[in-house]
Amino acid sequence: MTWAQIIQIVSVAGVVAMIAAAWWAKIPRPTPELDPARARDLLAVEFPDNPINDLWIASDGAGAVARSGTEALVVYRAGDGYVARSLSWADALIAPVQSGHVRFRFGDFAAPRASLAVSGINPWPPQGHQAGLAA
Amino acid sequence: MKLDPVTLAIPFFIISILLEILLSRLGVTKANYEVRDTATSLMMGFFSSIIGAIPAAAIFGVSVWVYKYRLLDIPMVGLLGVGAWAALFLLEDLTYYWFHRLSHERRFWWAAHVNHHTSQHYNLSTALRQTWTGGVSGTWLLWLPLSFIGFPPAMVAIQKGISLVYQYWIHTEVIRRLPGPIEAVFNTPSHHRVHHARNPRYLDANYAGILIIWDRLFGTFIPEDDAEPCRYGTVKNLGDFNLLRVAFHEWIGIGQDLARSRSPREVLGYLFGPPGWSPDGSRDTSHTLKAKWQARQAAQAQASAESAPMAAE
Repeated sequence: MTWAQIIQIVSVAGVVAMIAAAWWAKIPRPTPELDPARARDLLAVEFPDNPINDLWIASDGAGAVARSGTEALVVYRAGDGYVARSLSWADALIAPVQSGHVRFRFGDFAAPRASLAVSGINPWPPQGHQAGLAA
Repeated sequence: MKLDPVTLAIPFFIISILLEILLSRLGVTKANYEVRDTATSLMMGFFSSIIGAIPAAAIFGVSVWVYKYRLLDIPMVGLLGVGAWAALFLLEDLTYYWFHRLSHERRFWWAAHVNHHTSQHYNLSTALRQTWTGGVSGTWLLWLPLSFIGFPPAMVAIQKGISLVYQYWIHTEVIRRLPGPIEAVFNTPSHHRVHHARNPRYLDANYAGILIIWDRLFGTFIPEDDAEPCRYGTVKNLGDFNLLRVAFHEWIGIGQDLARSRSPREVLGYLFGPPGWSPDGSRDTSHTLKAKWQARQAAQAQASAESAPMAAE
């Protein structure tokens, strides 16, 4: 067995062991469901220069959409972190709802789409979106 | 057996990450690991070692070719060798600083380096989230002058490896601050946390490899402020843990921008401007993000000053 082969075997075994350890340990950051206050805090970090006109929160608390003028600011959970992107409010309103999720597309290879859970009491587009959203 | 510091350190990488996880699980230390994030970092590192081996031989060959035309004969061993290692330590670290700064401040090289910053975590596994495209980005050219001066290519390769191994252990939140003299001279977990932070105030700072003195010298040093904890990742975090997205998203972004470019200026700007450059300034660069942050700070300070007398009344 060559030195290179030994290195590869040790590396593969190590990668498997480390992933297994991370899975076993269950020590991600806590990511409680978003409520209006948490969502606003998160949006203030991600979009500090955008005033929030209205706020909609996904039914599973794993994401939120805020209207800021003509923009829709979207934050959603990925792992134990959050991703933020924006699109036009007009495009957000016509985003398709499939299988209980509204699907936003951002045209960005780094974060091409977001899928946020909707429910009967929390539909998309939000009720009364012309006048303002009820969060 | 090759004397390659990075290869020799693989058992240390594995054991230390397992320890960081175990001790955090037991509550002895504080580190967070998310399993998909960890898997992404480790797989990026594993495939980086395989993909990187392809151009490595060619790059080393170029170094040997340049070395043939060297200015000096610098020994690796003996009394003069000790001095040569000390000189190489400094020169290689200085080279690393400029490589690293270039890799953050110009988009073409950022595309090769950004994947290292895509984790929203800062733990030892993050250190192994390494590039797949470093060879094609050509930054290895920056080390060729060392061979031209007369440092043997093997000596340069070993010193580069030592630097990489040094930079491994500073990817942790477990160590908060080291004694003052060490923080003053060396790159430490605290300094490197700032480097990985996406808070506007911390952007484009602390490019050091081993010695933080270069940042202090060239004006890119920012100390960690406990009042503003670091938030890790990139300004626009990735949407998932797809390895291909991690490795290539910025290259694809460059390609998309070049496809819609309308002038040579735009081509050059998209390729070699700062990350976030756009012809009309509609996107944010580190510079504009910092400027906006400073403006918000100033506005808050003014608002506080104006409300203070009213509160006193």
